[in-house]
Amino acid sequence: MLNVIWVIMIFAGVVTGLLTGRIKEVSEAVLASCTSSVSLVMTMLGAMCLWSGIMRVAQKAGLVNTLARLLKGVFKFLFPGIPKDHPANGAIAMSISADLLGLGNAATPLGIMAMKELSDVNGNSTVASNAMVMFGVVNAACIQLIPATVLVVRQQAGSADPSSIIPCVWIASLASAVSGVVAAKILEK
Amino acid sequence: MDFISNFSIPAVIFVIVVIGWIKGVKVFDVFVEGAYEGAKTAFEILPVMVGIIAAVSILNASGLVDILTNLVRKPLEFIGIPAEVIPVMLIRPFSGSASLGLFMEQIKRYGADSYAGRALSTIMGSSETVMYTLAVYFGATGVRDTRHALAASLISSYVGMLAAIYVCKIL
Repeated sequence: MLNVIWVIMIFAGVVTGLLTGRIKEVSEAVLASCTSSVSLVMTMLGAMCLWSGIMRVAQKAGLVNTLARLLKGVFKFLFPGIPKDHPANGAIAMSISADLLGLGNAATPLGIMAMKELSDVNGNSTVASNAMVMFGVVNAACIQLIPATVLVVRQQAGSADPSSIIPCVWIASLASAVSGVVAAKILEK
Repeated sequence: MDFISNFSIPAVIFVIVVIGWIKGVKVFDVFVEGAYEGAKTAFEILPVMVGIIAAVSILNASGLVDILTNLVRKPLEFIGIPAEVIPVMLIRPFSGSASLGLFMEQIKRYGADSYAGRALSTIMGSSETVMYTLAVYFGATGVRDTRHALAASLISSYVGMLAAIYVCKIL
């Protein structure tokens, strides 16, 4: 999928740049983007170390299994076909919990860990399993209890009541999650 | 609210480390072991990031995003989507930093407590950079065929954004 999309993005961008006479800006932007990708990964590097380390501790302490047991019913519906005692269950639980808490970049390494476990269940195939797609979709739906970044931006923009949008965010997130799950369940056939 | 969002990260670290210690885990050794894995993963996703961000920056700089915004303006306004939120809606699934930058600029222009400002905030708070998330997650696992992941994620994103626009009209 990304193979096709990548070609389309580059093709459309370069052709448009030529037509609009902005090819110089395009050229500058591409070169600048390499630097910004590296600095983005560098910014994430520390957070990934921290959270991978913390989560390893959680795993060794048996916390992950506790959480996974609490969320078992939901997971059985979303991710059928994962063996009961597979580490994937715990990894998914941790990742979704981090999403809920709005841990942002901290949630990414957890998501990657969960995806690696799901890939293991899938025999490390290069074709995604239904469970892997569902996990990607649930993550992309991004249910967040507290949208911290947005609240900070609103405060800076002079809002009288920055947190007033939180109920709206919950409703919109829920709509997004439900439609994503339904879409994934329909499309997987 | 502030307290909850400030407290969530220290609380998670605190609870995990203290429970680990009580259960007799060699917490620091285990932490370093896990952190090493984290560093390896970060380097694994670097090439993926360079590819995605390069393509997004081409799209931005070429002016295609602006052209698309103008193209879809009329039909979208007809179904109740205000023109102010269109650029963020278009770019949100594809670039987190670009949409955040755009959001910060737009919310200042329209006012944080105006309808457009609230709708923009709700869109940003309830959606995710789908392309990035999927690229990173599937890239790290070596999956080449992501099947319906992108389609379902985009459906989910745009349903969420529409919900954001309509909910802000009511609440």
